[in-house]
Amino acid sequence: MRILNKVKEKLKKIIPVRFTSLKSTKKKSAATETGPLSPKEIPGFQETIAVNTKFSHPEDSRRRSTMPQELPSCYDQDKIILQVRDPRWLHTYWELRNQTIEGLKNKLGDDFYRARKILRVYDVTNIIFNGFNANSFFDIQYNDFANSWYIDTAGPGRSWCVDLGLMLTDGRFITILRSNVVQTPLDGPSWITDEEWMIPEDIFARLYGMGFGLGKSSPVGGAWQQRLKQGLFSSGISSSPVRKEVKERSFWMKVDCELIVYGATQPDAKVTVQGEPINLRPDGTFTLRYYLPDGKQVIPVKATSADKLEERVITPIVTRETR
Amino acid sequence: MRHPEHEDFLEEDWLYEAITETYVPLISVFEGLVNDGIDFRITLTLSPTLISMLSDSLLQERYLKHINKLIELTQREMERTRWQEPFRRLAEMYFHKFSHARDTFQRYSCNLVYAFKKFQDLGKVEIITCGATHGFFPLMDVCRDSVRAQVKVAAGHYESVFGRRPRGIWLPECGFLPGHDEILREAGIRYFFTDSHGLLHGSPRPKYGVFAPVYCKGTGVACFGRDLESSKQVWSSIEGYPGDYNYREFYRDIGFDLEFEYIKPYIHPDGVRINTGVKYYRITGTGNHKEPYVPEWARERAAEHAGNFMFNRQKQACYLNDLMGKPPIIVSPYDAELFGHWWYEGPMWLDFLFRKVACDQNEIRMITPPEYLAENPRNQVITPSLSSWGYKGYSEMWLQGANDWIYRHLHVASERMSELARGYPAAQGLLRRALNQALRELLLAQSSDWAFILGTGTHTSYAVRRTKDHLLRFNRIYEDIKANNINENWLSDIEHKDNLFPNIDYQVHQ
Repeated sequence: MRILNKVKEKLKKIIPVRFTSLKSTKKKSAATETGPLSPKEIPGFQETIAVNTKFSHPEDSRRRSTMPQELPSCYDQDKIILQVRDPRWLHTYWELRNQTIEGLKNKLGDDFYRARKILRVYDVTNIIFNGFNANSFFDIQYNDFANSWYIDTAGPGRSWCVDLGLMLTDGRFITILRSNVVQTPLDGPSWITDEEWMIPEDIFARLYGMGFGLGKSSPVGGAWQQRLKQGLFSSGISSSPVRKEVKERSFWMKVDCELIVYGATQPDAKVTVQGEPINLRPDGTFTLRYYLPDGKQVIPVKATSADKLEERVITPIVTRETR
Repeated sequence: MRHPEHEDFLEEDWLYEAITETYVPLISVFEGLVNDGIDFRITLTLSPTLISMLSDSLLQERYLKHINKLIELTQREMERTRWQEPFRRLAEMYFHKFSHARDTFQRYSCNLVYAFKKFQDLGKVEIITCGATHGFFPLMDVCRDSVRAQVKVAAGHYESVFGRRPRGIWLPECGFLPGHDEILREAGIRYFFTDSHGLLHGSPRPKYGVFAPVYCKGTGVACFGRDLESSKQVWSSIEGYPGDYNYREFYRDIGFDLEFEYIKPYIHPDGVRINTGVKYYRITGTGNHKEPYVPEWARERAAEHAGNFMFNRQKQACYLNDLMGKPPIIVSPYDAELFGHWWYEGPMWLDFLFRKVACDQNEIRMITPPEYLAENPRNQVITPSLSSWGYKGYSEMWLQGANDWIYRHLHVASERMSELARGYPAAQGLLRRALNQALRELLLAQSSDWAFILGTGTHTSYAVRRTKDHLLRFNRIYEDIKANNINENWLSDIEHKDNLFPNIDYQVHQ
């Protein structure tokens, strides 16, 4: 979370205004889609556009007739995809054509409606899976509205395949879609040690612990868990090891003072403030702004004419006292 | 990632900050070392998108404007803080720093890529590439053609800039999935990095842990593992150097601290306060009270920390050498922007470290991966494990409830791109332009930054919009090509907007 917070921090400083402009984009397109109102009749439409073009892409407003604003909800395909999230968890998503579903309804009749919707997760480690030779499998019932699922395999270092199917009331399982095969990574060191490269166990244990920066005697078993606890992951477009200041209480106040000294003289005169030369604007005016600390400030302002014959000194004296 | 139509954009602000706070300071460190005859080595990733941004004349012009404004601000600050001695000195420090940044920038013809190339040509800096648009490869595995395109476009781009093929790659987010080494091999890339567990949990078990590279089984591409002990010293929020109380406080910026009307010309034009880079305080302690920064104290700490880092590496290397019976390699990767941006004293620390390693001892030395491989060609053969250096070490940062919806669209787009590349093997003219632009849009949609921002859960609209825009443009090109109905005006328009990789060849996506 530490890292995420930094990123939020960094994003926050830029995005708020654009964030609102995006919201208005959404509203606008909804309005144009749903009603016969022409854009001009929508209150505030012009303003919305102004903000919108600042952020987004003019083409969107010009080509709305041909450029959709939203991605399609489906791609007219029968497909299930499996991906690995980590040593334990898989992610799957799928899409079924309406005609595929209709076909099943026709074929199965009432059985279709009574059937349970099932993801069958096969352990296919070290085999060429043909649908019947899995090492083992387990079923997950998913609901009508799901089109993706996270699967806890509890099985690092194994190969997996998923069938999307129907479990009929008589116990038959019908496969509708079969996924690709994926492999979860190990969550500890491999037990396979290359014989040619044999190395004593205790030395590997020490190297393993050191690899995670855990010192010289960390046990093999717990090293990964310890690393997770340390949260030593770096990542992302921006992250920082630098701690953000902790606000001790949420309520707070800050007060400070600055002093503005301004004036004018002949444009070609030379002016110093507290002995330091300053630049005049072309019209001979000047403005100086100072942080004003507590105490007395004596501020002699001296102007000397271009021919150096004349001089004026005006000296404001300012005292700040903070209680 | 340029927005010709508007001047103030997220990525552009980040680029300017990075130039002033990280790239110029690093280049200055390298220049100083070379001038003083100090030998050093560092391996640096310059992603294709970063190179494109650094080389873009529009952005170069805008950077000059940006840095000139900052210089103007520091001049006003020097005046404003006249009666506040510690702050006046700091305002002056920033005035010199920003003026130096502008001079350096102009000295390299406003293109800092030339600077990095110079140090690569001198043999001091090894520049490696990254994914073309920083796609997270493990979640692109469903359509490996896209991984191949990310790698090949990046390698081709690198070659056009540096005059030779890249020898190494920093996989985006350090995300490795077994099998992708084959794609690296095809592109002529000889080595990459994984996080520690990528190597340690590989199979068979790596004999030397992360302290020697391995060759991937079947491809022979070398893989170097990240050492966490050295990472921790710099990264850890508890023990890390950057948290030292004498170092500069990142979170107190005059962009937020000063009176609104005064600072307004230097913050976001909409009046949103942002970091200017002018920060006057040191970390001081854990509370809210902050004391003014004292550059001399910070410098002393940076020197001490460099000495401490070197001392620890000496001990570590010595111990490992006994254990392994051969010299270990210690790989310590950090985000570039850690140095200078987050950790203001980072470049100074690096400078001290390079000098100390070169002059004060002879137990350890700096090395680049190709040099190590040349000296130690014999290495173990294993299959490294799926891994990343993201949150929890795998894919979860980019695959969770907040962002998993993007993959069904991205994967279809990948398949469609392969279909196009196969279906139109030797396109010319307008069709070729459309096919190339389709690949650009796909690559831009694949940037893992979008999923990352969505995953952080705040201010996600920008990421949603970018993902959708690029995918919608891709889909439209796909449909137009299939319908043999390409609208040239529209195509020119998006070619102008999404103009990276001018020499892209859609045929790499297969």
